[in-house]
Amino acid sequence: MSPYFILVPILVPILAGILLMTFPIQDYKTRAAAVETVVILNTILVFVLLLNRPAERLYLFSFVEGLPLTLNIDGMATFFGGLVAFLWPLATLYTFEYMRHEERVNTFLSFYTITYGVTLGVAFAGNIVTMYLFYEALTMVTLPLVIHTMTEEAQKATRKYLNYMIGGTAFAFIGIVFYSLFCTDIEFVLGGNLDVANLGEYANIALLVYVLAFFGFGVKAAVFPFHGWLPTASVAPTPVTALLHAVAVVKSGVFAIMRLTYFCFGADFLKGTWAQTVVVIAAMVTIVYGSTMGVRENHFKRRLAYSTIANLSYILLGVTMMSPLGLMAGLCHMFVHAIMKISGFFCAGAVMHQTDKNYVYELDGLGYAMPATFTALLISGLSLTGIPLFAGFVSKWSIVQALLEQPSMMGYVGVFVLLYSALMTGIYMLSLNVRGWFSGGTVAREANAKFHDPSWLMLLPLAIFSVITVALGLNAQALLVFVQSIATGTF
Amino acid sequence: MIALLIPVLMPIAVGVLLMAFPPRQRKIMLAVVFAALAIGLALAIGVALQPEDALRLTLGTVAEGLTFYLQVDAVGKLFSVLVAFVWLLVGLAAFEYMSHEHDEPRFFGFYLIVEGVLAALCYSGNLFTFYVFFELMTLTSVPLVMHELTHEAVMAGLKYLFYSVGGAFLSLFGLFLFTAQGAELTFTAGGVLDSTSASGVARLAVFLMILGFGTKAGMFPMHGWLPTAHPVAPAPASAVLSGVITKAGVLGILRTVYYVAGPELIRDTWVQYAWIGLTLITVFMGSMLAYRENVLKKRLAYSTVSQVSYVLFGLSLLQPVAFVGALLHVVFHSLVKNGLFLSAGAIICKTGKTKVDELKGIGKEMPVVLWCFTLAGVTLVGIPPTSAFVSKWYLATGSLASGIPVASWLGPVVLLVSALLTAGYLLTVSIDAFLPGSDYNYAALEKHEPTWQMLVPIVTLTALAVLLGVWPGGLTSLLTGIAGSVL
Amino acid sequence: MTLVQNFPFFCIILSMFSAIISFPMNHRWAMRVHLIMVTVVLALSLCVLGYTVSTGESYTFMMGHFPAPWGNEIRIGVLEALMAVFFSLIMLLSVLGGLAHIGRELKNSRKNLFFILLDLLMSSLLALIYTNDLFTAYVFIEINTISACGLIMIKKEGRTYVSALRYMVMSLVGSSLFLIALTLLYTITGQLLMTPAKEALAELVAAGEYEVPILVIISLVTVGLGIKSGLYPFHTWIPDAYGYTTPSASAILSSLVSKGYLFLLIKIFYRVLDFEFVVSSQVVNLLFMLGILGMIMGSWLAIKTQNIRRMAAFSSVAQIGYIYMGIGLGTTAGVVAALFHIISHGAMKSLLFISISGLSEVSDDKSDFESLKGAGFRNKLAGVAYTVGAMSMIGMPLLTGFISKYMFASAATTAMQGKMVIAWIALAISTILNTVYFMGSVLTIYHSVPAEQRKPHGMMPSRVESVGTVGLIALNVGLGVAATPVIQAIQTGLAIFG
Repeated sequence: MSPYFILVPILVPILAGILLMTFPIQDYKTRAAAVETVVILNTILVFVLLLNRPAERLYLFSFVEGLPLTLNIDGMATFFGGLVAFLWPLATLYTFEYMRHEERVNTFLSFYTITYGVTLGVAFAGNIVTMYLFYEALTMVTLPLVIHTMTEEAQKATRKYLNYMIGGTAFAFIGIVFYSLFCTDIEFVLGGNLDVANLGEYANIALLVYVLAFFGFGVKAAVFPFHGWLPTASVAPTPVTALLHAVAVVKSGVFAIMRLTYFCFGADFLKGTWAQTVVVIAAMVTIVYGSTMGVRENHFKRRLAYSTIANLSYILLGVTMMSPLGLMAGLCHMFVHAIMKISGFFCAGAVMHQTDKNYVYELDGLGYAMPATFTALLISGLSLTGIPLFAGFVSKWSIVQALLEQPSMMGYVGVFVLLYSALMTGIYMLSLNVRGWFSGGTVAREANAKFHDPSWLMLLPLAIFSVITVALGLNAQALLVFVQSIATGTF
Repeated sequence: MIALLIPVLMPIAVGVLLMAFPPRQRKIMLAVVFAALAIGLALAIGVALQPEDALRLTLGTVAEGLTFYLQVDAVGKLFSVLVAFVWLLVGLAAFEYMSHEHDEPRFFGFYLIVEGVLAALCYSGNLFTFYVFFELMTLTSVPLVMHELTHEAVMAGLKYLFYSVGGAFLSLFGLFLFTAQGAELTFTAGGVLDSTSASGVARLAVFLMILGFGTKAGMFPMHGWLPTAHPVAPAPASAVLSGVITKAGVLGILRTVYYVAGPELIRDTWVQYAWIGLTLITVFMGSMLAYRENVLKKRLAYSTVSQVSYVLFGLSLLQPVAFVGALLHVVFHSLVKNGLFLSAGAIICKTGKTKVDELKGIGKEMPVVLWCFTLAGVTLVGIPPTSAFVSKWYLATGSLASGIPVASWLGPVVLLVSALLTAGYLLTVSIDAFLPGSDYNYAALEKHEPTWQMLVPIVTLTALAVLLGVWPGGLTSLLTGIAGSVL
Repeated sequence: MTLVQNFPFFCIILSMFSAIISFPMNHRWAMRVHLIMVTVVLALSLCVLGYTVSTGESYTFMMGHFPAPWGNEIRIGVLEALMAVFFSLIMLLSVLGGLAHIGRELKNSRKNLFFILLDLLMSSLLALIYTNDLFTAYVFIEINTISACGLIMIKKEGRTYVSALRYMVMSLVGSSLFLIALTLLYTITGQLLMTPAKEALAELVAAGEYEVPILVIISLVTVGLGIKSGLYPFHTWIPDAYGYTTPSASAILSSLVSKGYLFLLIKIFYRVLDFEFVVSSQVVNLLFMLGILGMIMGSWLAIKTQNIRRMAAFSSVAQIGYIYMGIGLGTTAGVVAALFHIISHGAMKSLLFISISGLSEVSDDKSDFESLKGAGFRNKLAGVAYTVGAMSMIGMPLLTGFISKYMFASAATTAMQGKMVIAWIALAISTILNTVYFMGSVLTIYHSVPAEQRKPHGMMPSRVESVGTVGLIALNVGLGVAATPVIQAIQTGLAIFG
């Protein structure tokens, strides 16, 4: 397949979104059908592309000498692009139902669709400059989505979001500049292309630059202390929080860090250095912080946001082990967490949409009124806690394998951090279901009798995600073999 | 062989169906439950009679190193038969007890599901499979604890859940570590790991696993959930929680120390000493707290805390005689404690009285129940020729023969003190029940004896508890054989 | 001598001539003359650029009949031609973009004066670009100052008088310092033409004479031109000057006027003083520090202001800080980055000022943020243009600001490690500060407002303005994706600059 085809799935949603903004469709059914068709069509295009990978990368043009814009489908691109393409149609389906009674849905859906194309751009980027372009663009096109409700709260959240994001990329930029000047070839290659032999006195600077870039990209990945934007951004409509802040935006952050670590600077260069220690500790601190705050938080979506913060650093904990096993674990959890968390947010959204309840203590007895939703929430919660028979156990397992690959104090501490976090997760996720099924007595049950499960548009994605969670929990060999091939370069 | 799945899946399937399609008539529901329990016992016995080689089944692999594997050995047979037997009897008693409660289908549904999960737990052939069903056991038993749905019950259930999950995660560390080191964690008598090249981390992992599984067994310092959860659950649930589910924790430690790590790994190390210390503390502390507790079910809960640590003490000595004593006590304590809880349940069910100081003269109102209570109490104290005397004798002699400094003589001393305390907290109840003193209102005396559904199990359990003490031979020889294989 | 080589001279003369003949004309004709003049200058400069790129050398052009070192000359190379192209292009687009305003905001009697001043400004800029003579440079500095001053107060309101006065005072101080330096130089070398002056200075330095006076010369030139171009802490005149005059004037003032002085400074560093010598004198370190301070403080002050035009003006202070930081790195790469940013910032700032005027004219001609809420819906093109400009300022790839940032960051690696890290951190912090106020203002102009506030309050945007706006957007994007030829031209030009 020709490399030019890589551009197609990126541009199609962007153009479709712009078209929808310029020529708005008033009837919501027609609009929904049109948008979903475009999104599904694009997903098909993506999978066609991924199954017929172009043999070479696509070179578009260079900003300046040494900063080319290229697109390439390698293992990582397949993985992330495939994940995004799989989730987008389901999330869009959910959006229609959720946004049915909102305003300015045209603008919302336009930017939602444009984000699809931009996220694919991040996935398909062939080098760090191209990725940076789409990374910045991702921030910009998600702004209107976060600010959508236009309340005072939403505006403040958007400004915070924006400042954090650009602040992060400002520091990531340093990494890009340094790498572009000190690499043998700027294109992504497993093992990195840093010209280690000729670094000389810049070796320490290189490590410092890596740490700055890690935290810079880490803002999108909600690394402590730059995680503050994520809980605040929960004020956005749930489709935004679910897809973007549990999947697209934050996974772009960890994806970028994976690219930075394994495909630019190179894991071997970073292993055993003070830079590795710093980033491992950052991941651990984030995990502890996110998990603990999740227990204390009473707002449903914000609780899930803190859970995301912790889970992203699970991925980073694996990644920062600087080994193929670590990358493999990170990829595995990236996939599994996306499924679990989007399911969790959809449940929260279903509850909020049907009942207008935003807080955890309002959930008493609601399980009987909305059994399907709460069952999906139970599966998501069990998986997040890491109970075996659910996907979450498998991905945590692989992270632990990476941590314990070589006996080290850091590895053992990491395992304990994971276990602590698992306990906290159990507390804050399972208590939701306990409330739903066991609390409140008949009084609550009667009060909730008027509520019911949402329509098939919202339930279908939930069902699919729950089934996948259990299926992977029972047999995850296929996924593990796939990510192993990416991590070892045999893809 | 695939037939191993039947004792696991049948109760679960019946339980799920019962909750999804609750029968309109109570009689039909009870009949279904009874049938399932009876068949469950038959299946357990059937499996126990098979030769060991036939009883293996690989179910599939989740990831490399994580295989579902069932394998029934002598220990598994013992535990599975015990579980099924107790489950049947307690279930029968529950028919009457639960007639005063609501939401019976949910109770019996989860009751059956837990039985199925426990069967799988007993049949687990490697550490991963064991861990999976251990977690599932916790999750499926939480609804039993929370059954009353009062605020108190829900909070107690949550405490149970979080302690158990936390404990499970402690043992998970061991699972993680050993798999990362490439060990194949299939249960093998005498252990799989290489004790000579074991590192300090491996020992720490074993210790954490002991603590983790010990949470379920109520070992200090992870015992906090027990006295909270047992009183709020309905009496049949408390019975099986105390009598059986705590033994799952024991089984976990047993499998870890004797079938995975191997006793040599921790013999004469800080791990063993710490373990012994914790068990002895628990034995003493549990008895003390029971002695001072007024709520009857809570008193029995503290008693469980103490008694299960007798078992753990025996296991911690890594000595064959003590080992036999420990496993004997598993059986005997299970019988006794179930009997005691069912008696307490009968009292609550018939008179509504929950506190010890309300029980004056109740022996006159419910003579059969209280006779059984007294006999069970006597057994638990360890007076010959009752069964627990045998188990305690083995424990004491094993301890003295173990040659471990301090613990070898301290153990029997603590056991003795605890026995005295046990007499204090159990026999005083009996005394007050039968001899209430002069200010008891004899005129208002009514008989409140429960029906045969409760009486049969109580009497059966008590009788067995006494008789097995008189004729322990078959059991002891079986257990000595197991001890020989692991030590 | 080919025809093309005469073009620079034609350009200068043409612009001065346009100024003169516009006096008796009415404003419409003055405007036409100006526009034609700028277009012609642009075209001619493009030819010169083409010519110099193809020959790869710079040549000198005698003004009058006296040869060097007594006569006057101008020197034309790749770099000078490139600057001329961009300055004229930006002036053209800015005037087009603000044309309607000029029509509305000024009294008829003043309008032709406006264009006259622009003509003079063009001529002085061209002269500063091309001149090879120090005294000529001084003359045109003064012409530049006076025209700029006139542009500042063309609107004849109270505030403009004050800003013009402030501007005058500071600017003349700067000019005076320059004059003193010039005098000193003439005294010790006896030369006014740049190239011979350089040779003379080199001899003096080699002989170790006049060390202190030479140092004083460097300092005075630097500070003098620094004041005029808005180096921190001499920036205080900028917000008032740019904030209150007509949009075209703001655009041109911020994009071009200070850049002329910056270019002259670089020219003096290379062609009179010898850059290596300047580096060794540690003056560059001072520039580096002040540049960084300007970057941070300019943005900091911009965050605090409530008026969008003053905000853009403070932003200019920060951007000039970038340029000084680039020079202050003390390496060729740093100067290349600074020169690129002169062009880049010109493109960005003009776009911003023109779009700001577009936004405020549909908001009752108000410039404070409260009134501008929702302005992006009232004037869609201006809103888009402002967003593009803002994203360019924060360094969004595909726009010219990103290229500037990259040039500065990679130039930093050629400097000492300490300067490198400081420069990087300063760039990052500055980006964050820029984001706060620029993207904050983008969110404000797209603030959701009820439907009746989505209709323009005030004037409707005109066609001509749209041409200017679109042209500036195209320039930003064009530089963002196709910067390589420009950068190569700068590098070639700089090599033959000295």
